[in-house]
Amino acid sequence: MTKIWYVAWQEYRRHVFTRRFVLAGLLSVPFLILVLVGLVLLIISMDINTTPLGYVDYSSLLSNPLPAPTPEPPDRPVPVLPFETEASARSALDAGQIQAYYVLPSDYLSTGRLSVVHLGTLKSPARDQFYSFLTANLLRNTDPVVANRLVKGAELIIQSPDGSRSISSQNWFTVMLPMFAGIAFIVAMFSTGGYLMQAVVEEKENRTMEVIITSVSPNQFMAGKIIGDTSIGLTQIFLWMLFIVIPILVFRDSISFLHGIQIAHQTLLLLIFVMFPAFVMVSALMAAIGATVSEAREGQQMMGIISLPIWIPYMLTGLLMSNPNSPMALSLSLFPLTAPLTMFMRDGMTILPAWQIALSSIIQVLSAVGAIWLAGRAFRLGMLRYGQRLKWREVFARQGAKR
Amino acid sequence: MKKILLVMKNEITTIISRPSFWLALLGLPLAGALIFAVVGAINKSTSAIETVSQVFSGPPEIRPEGYVDLSGIIRQIPESVPPETFIAYPDERSARQALTSGKIAAFFIVPKDYIQKGKITYIRPDFNPLASSGDQSNLLTWVVQVNLAGGNILFANLVNGPLEVDETSLTAVAPPDDDNPLALWTPYIITLIFYMLIIGSASLLLSNISKEKENRVIEMLLTSVTPRQLLTGKILGLGIVGLCQTVFWFGTSIILLNLSGRTFNLSSAIHLPASFLVWGLVFFLLGYAVYASLMAGLGALAPNLREASQATFVIMLPLMVPLFLSSSVFMQAPNGTIAIVLSLFPLSAPVAMMARLSAGGVPWWQPLLAAVLLAVTAVLIVRAVAGMFRAQALLSGQGFKMKIYVRALAGRL
Repeated sequence: MTKIWYVAWQEYRRHVFTRRFVLAGLLSVPFLILVLVGLVLLIISMDINTTPLGYVDYSSLLSNPLPAPTPEPPDRPVPVLPFETEASARSALDAGQIQAYYVLPSDYLSTGRLSVVHLGTLKSPARDQFYSFLTANLLRNTDPVVANRLVKGAELIIQSPDGSRSISSQNWFTVMLPMFAGIAFIVAMFSTGGYLMQAVVEEKENRTMEVIITSVSPNQFMAGKIIGDTSIGLTQIFLWMLFIVIPILVFRDSISFLHGIQIAHQTLLLLIFVMFPAFVMVSALMAAIGATVSEAREGQQMMGIISLPIWIPYMLTGLLMSNPNSPMALSLSLFPLTAPLTMFMRDGMTILPAWQIALSSIIQVLSAVGAIWLAGRAFRLGMLRYGQRLKWREVFARQGAKR
Repeated sequence: MKKILLVMKNEITTIISRPSFWLALLGLPLAGALIFAVVGAINKSTSAIETVSQVFSGPPEIRPEGYVDLSGIIRQIPESVPPETFIAYPDERSARQALTSGKIAAFFIVPKDYIQKGKITYIRPDFNPLASSGDQSNLLTWVVQVNLAGGNILFANLVNGPLEVDETSLTAVAPPDDDNPLALWTPYIITLIFYMLIIGSASLLLSNISKEKENRVIEMLLTSVTPRQLLTGKILGLGIVGLCQTVFWFGTSIILLNLSGRTFNLSSAIHLPASFLVWGLVFFLLGYAVYASLMAGLGALAPNLREASQATFVIMLPLMVPLFLSSSVFMQAPNGTIAIVLSLFPLSAPVAMMARLSAGGVPWWQPLLAAVLLAVTAVLIVRAVAGMFRAQALLSGQGFKMKIYVRALAGRL
């Protein structure tokens, strides 16, 4: 037993205490988040254009207009200028004084039709500001409380019948949270699984294996590697969580979409009973691949075969999220390789029946055990084989165990 | 010269004798044809569509939903709402009973202070915020809005802006056609295709060189050819294979599109001019030359494939930027400042310029300028990498560092 821990600790230390792990494994995620936020801000600021908008009003709606309400930052107010005739508005547009002009026909209030003339495209911030200007004037004779409600509309709060879970339609972040958690887990799973595969292939390639096997039994070696690898993955996830949870706790009150984030107990259950066995399963499969191939490059190709089904639910995100209880969603959540991500995506969208969680986790645990068996077997047969690849037929053959 | 040809010939024969090459070459169009055929067949029969959509979205369920109006706002349900869509309940308890007995699928509670707070509770057994089938929440919030506006439907709708807008654009280029998603996505697809083609053929070179370095074949080769001959031969050989592959894929996809055009009516959606193909060839070749030599330099310096593939990310970054921005920049404003800068900057030009060309409205001199700039860059980089491709670098087993790579590119190693 001590030898297992020895192997595990060796594996853990070798990968975690390196500069590459710190750079690629830990800082990449916060860096990526920062880049994405920067890109979004850039795109938003590209749309802002504060050149005035013009309008020609034949409908008397804007004959004595109220000013447009001030937009919320980062949007900046766009001035709105009245014009007597379309010709004068057109010459102002040609002169570059306005970015576009709207024409309200005399029957606007009965048909809701109007026209707009612009030079290339009119960006949505400016358009929305003109529309809220129209709305402000439309509602000038309505009771301000009612008018405010009409403009803002309703906030729908979706609740489960027993009241255990509720979520506001404006709070999309909570819905996506389980999915993000699932994706983070899978990314960590693959990067650490990749470490494990490489470690096995490398030790085979440079003949370290021959030396190790003189003092550790293949099963101890494999178990140690899998434990070490899983802990590397968990370390990575734990540190990512710190990067994500700390900002959420700090900025909770100042950023609107972070309000009212709640994590259901179900998500934690899934984490322990579905994601953890999946983690072990993928690690073991990676180790099995490492043991059967003779070169790191070959191993990478084989890795692709495993990663493809795992990412299938991600490609079907839209379908799974809008129909979390379809037959397809159910079958994907029972198939071992697609289950982890599917279950997490569905979790944000619906209340998973208890039997599905139980069944999925049983399947997941069984496949993890099977994968470990497979890895041990493949490892014993393939650990000292060079140049020649172990065939899968040999791994499953009954005879192989006796040899 | 003879030796370059020899290296080139050898590269070509090794690649095309590999089964995986033929699998990719023929498999991709075959898979495409298969998808087209299946989708076409499904489109033809409605019962098949229904079966497939039930597998994907579950059986359709249209049951009435209830509401409990504590605020007294809902006085009437507009006639346009189908009858039996909403059933009113006096209090929450009776609505819950109806929910348990299966009479309604879900129910809404409009609280007393709705006008002040604006919150409506929606109680759903499956708790699905995005449900598209049977979700009547939008309809109910609209009913509440109409009642708040005193039953005046037009007024309630006008609050959200005009109902119909006639847009007139004074510039010659038509804005992207919002009705046709395929035309809108063409620049994005083109960006993706060019990115994959260039990276695909360039990384072939990387794996080739680092593999030969790893298994010491290169030591033997260097006894009879100079490093520069080796590099030129490899770039040419893999380039020819990549080009043939590209032409083959493009050809088959055009044939496929034409064949399926009847089912999807695509021909009217995408119209790429003939010059597009010529520019595509030019930018592919030049982009390949630049990125393949960068990759070859990487392969020359990195001790093994694993370390090399970790560094490829840094090299491919300029090519990825247009890909990241494609949905915002190239689809929305293909002739804006950022798009122009990206399409003229040599390292991102192969992808960015093709995306702009597919969107249309590019002045004739810009692709020309971009091609010239790219050609100059290609010549410079090929020369720099050839300098890097020296016996000393190829034979040493030292670890890969970005610093050394940049210094070697500048010719100071």
